[in-house]
Amino acid sequence: MKSPMNTNSKARCVPIPIDGVISYEDWLQGRRYRRELSQLVAPGVSRRPGSSSDRRLKALFNGERGLPFTPTEQL
Amino acid sequence: MDSKLIQTALADISAERDGTAKSLKLASLCSALWGERGVELVVVGGSAIEILTEGAYASGDLNMCHVHPTTLPIRERQEIMGRLGAKGGPRNWQVAGMYLDLLGPVESFARTPFRRVQGPYGEVQVMKTEDLLVERVLCSVYPERDETARRCARELAMVALSGVVPVDWSEVLRVANLPEYRNVEECRSLVNEVANEHQLESPLRADTD
Repeated sequence: MKSPMNTNSKARCVPIPIDGVISYEDWLQGRRYRRELSQLVAPGVSRRPGSSSDRRLKALFNGERGLPFTPTEQL
Repeated sequence: MDSKLIQTALADISAERDGTAKSLKLASLCSALWGERGVELVVVGGSAIEILTEGAYASGDLNMCHVHPTTLPIRERQEIMGRLGAKGGPRNWQVAGMYLDLLGPVESFARTPFRRVQGPYGEVQVMKTEDLLVERVLCSVYPERDETARRCARELAMVALSGVVPVDWSEVLRVANLPEYRNVEECRSLVNEVANEHQLESPLRADTD
């Protein structure tokens, strides 16, 4: 696995394989590293500001379109 | 799945405050229940991208499709979702503090398998990274430039190039070359851009075909 610079995770993660299944624990453990990689190329939140589902989403999520994203350091 | 386990799962999913984990858990539960009736489900769209990239993209609705053309009759769908205390239907429901949209048969062109996560209540199938990448690249430029789609495509490219979400690059090229997409050059350009920015090797450079 190639390692881009500038990620803070000390531990690499188990890849989500093409064939086979990743365990829930390995998927959870890899979340922070995947988030760090994504933030390198698309910093901040990528969620769309609006969509045709806005009315129902904002009614359920207190005016937002979904739950707030867990901060990277808490993943 | 017995009623006691369903209630335990629903309590867990309802209490979950992380949107991505909540989606995966709900997908796991629904996949198990639909699977008992012979219908395979797969997570698609933004929910799938989130599971693969953690890209802070998904909203509060979980999008799923059925893998094969046939699905359950409306009556059975409502019975299953009724066991989960869901409201609405027969193609979208409010359940466990989020929405589930069942979008019909999956639209996939890649020959690779669906990605699979062993969720807490059953296995979850996730849309193929090859399809997602090519589709997001297309949406980033057609019908007009779309910055959100471009960010998603860059995230998918990054996790793929880094090896944390392995991709069959020959399938990416084949799918991108299909009449349904015809965006090989756009895919090459985006993947090479991400690779160049982070000193990663790109399998999509023209001289590596």
